[in-house]
Amino acid sequence: MENALLIGLSRQMVLERQLDVVANNVANVNTNGFKADQQLFEEYLSSGAHEDNFPAAGRQVSYVQDRGTYRDFSQGSMQHTGNALDVSIAGDGFLAVQTAGGERYTRDGNLHMNNIGQLVTAAGDPVLGTGGPIVFQPTDHDINISPDGTVTVVEGINRTDSIRGKLRIVNFADPQAAQKQGNNLFAAVGGATPQQDTKSTVQQGYIEKSNVSAVGEMSKMVEVMRAYTQVANMLQVQSDLRKNAIEKLADVPA
Amino acid sequence: MQALHTAATGMAAQELNVQVISNNIANLRTTGFKKQTVAFQDLIYDHQRRVGAQSSDQGTILPVGIDIGGGVKTVGTPRSMTQGTLSQTGNDLDLSITGEGFFKVLMPDGTFQYTRDGTFQMDNQGRIVTAQGNPVQPTITIPQNASGITVNAQGQVSVTLPGSTTSNIIGQLQVTRFINKAGLQPVGNNQFTDTPSSGPPQDGVANQDGLGSITQGSLEQANVDVVSEMSELIAAQRAYEMNAKVISAADQMLQSTTALFR
Repeated sequence: MENALLIGLSRQMVLERQLDVVANNVANVNTNGFKADQQLFEEYLSSGAHEDNFPAAGRQVSYVQDRGTYRDFSQGSMQHTGNALDVSIAGDGFLAVQTAGGERYTRDGNLHMNNIGQLVTAAGDPVLGTGGPIVFQPTDHDINISPDGTVTVVEGINRTDSIRGKLRIVNFADPQAAQKQGNNLFAAVGGATPQQDTKSTVQQGYIEKSNVSAVGEMSKMVEVMRAYTQVANMLQVQSDLRKNAIEKLADVPA
Repeated sequence: MQALHTAATGMAAQELNVQVISNNIANLRTTGFKKQTVAFQDLIYDHQRRVGAQSSDQGTILPVGIDIGGGVKTVGTPRSMTQGTLSQTGNDLDLSITGEGFFKVLMPDGTFQYTRDGTFQMDNQGRIVTAQGNPVQPTITIPQNASGITVNAQGQVSVTLPGSTTSNIIGQLQVTRFINKAGLQPVGNNQFTDTPSSGPPQDGVANQDGLGSITQGSLEQANVDVVSEMSELIAAQRAYEMNAKVISAADQMLQSTTALFR
């Protein structure tokens, strides 16, 4: 009888973790370039609580466990900002960012300039071009970022464009190898190497919003909550059953 | 339960979002005001099962891991330095800059501040001053009885003196630019100060070296777009409500657990 409790418990723990994932998605509903997480579940077969009760083969008990969270890399909606340094990427590409911990990747195109004219993320990490960080000169103005990521400016009193670099857009053969690191950054893990992306295009003056579907997350949340309560009820029934059995069996007839 | 804390970070973030949006809306009619947005980032992840880890002795690699995020944080409130529209006022001393640059203002403590608000006046000494009475740089004194004040696109101020039919240039207004104008610090009164992030001020002549041109008789309106601010406000409010719903869902789940085995 304890098996039912354990199975229920395995389900509840998974549901609790699923609510954590939903909560994180909802919390990041306004985070630029955020990609929603989804959870995968799998059946976990194991012997019952009292293995000797089930000597025959094929009497394993089926538990549930979460196998992983995978990221939904679908495109988020584009928001027009009109800022010259805001870029959004249409396609599977990521911007390469130089951080203290090594190279990271992001879809958050809310870029800025720092005091030395370097193109940086909102957190101040330099954004990489194909030839290293992109640096603007103090006299640069009218910054233009073309769809292929080439950054041009008008320098001083010149009327001709000067090239300041080209954004390094990379993608992964398996996008799931891009592990979330927080700060809107992804890291390449599991031996994955980012490769040059030639298909993605850059749009200046737009920011990619979070791809979290509010309606989807809300309905998932209700589902999780109801399933959790249901399991709790089941556990209650189980417990009552056991309690009754003990009471009945221990009831010595007068 | 992690979800409670995660949703709490979401509510705090949206609260700040509403605060910034309300400041934008409050300054809808503020001359030279530049709107702000809020930039959010996700918090670090708890990698409960690392993607790419080996899951068997045969070298099976996990294709996905279990990464549980901890919520959201605010990384900055970047200022959108786009051009505001010009509105005609007809006042001789109302100036606006179309393009790069700020007017330089001398503060009483001897430091400089920068503004896009060109609502200038004349003080009792005939100096061109801001609405707070601080002189615009370099200090230009308009002679008494002078008429026909003209400011051209380069910022040259000329007047016609009594008894004369031609106008004389009496001064040149300075326009200052910053490599990263979004890094300026607002100090209120429509003014900004330079910071290590904005880079040092570079003084120049308007309509030259990529600096914007000066238009007399007009003021730059705030670059706040009411419609987009209102839609941002609705989005922020709904996001706040959704996070609140997550908290009540987590609460209900905890409740059903504590109610067990009474």
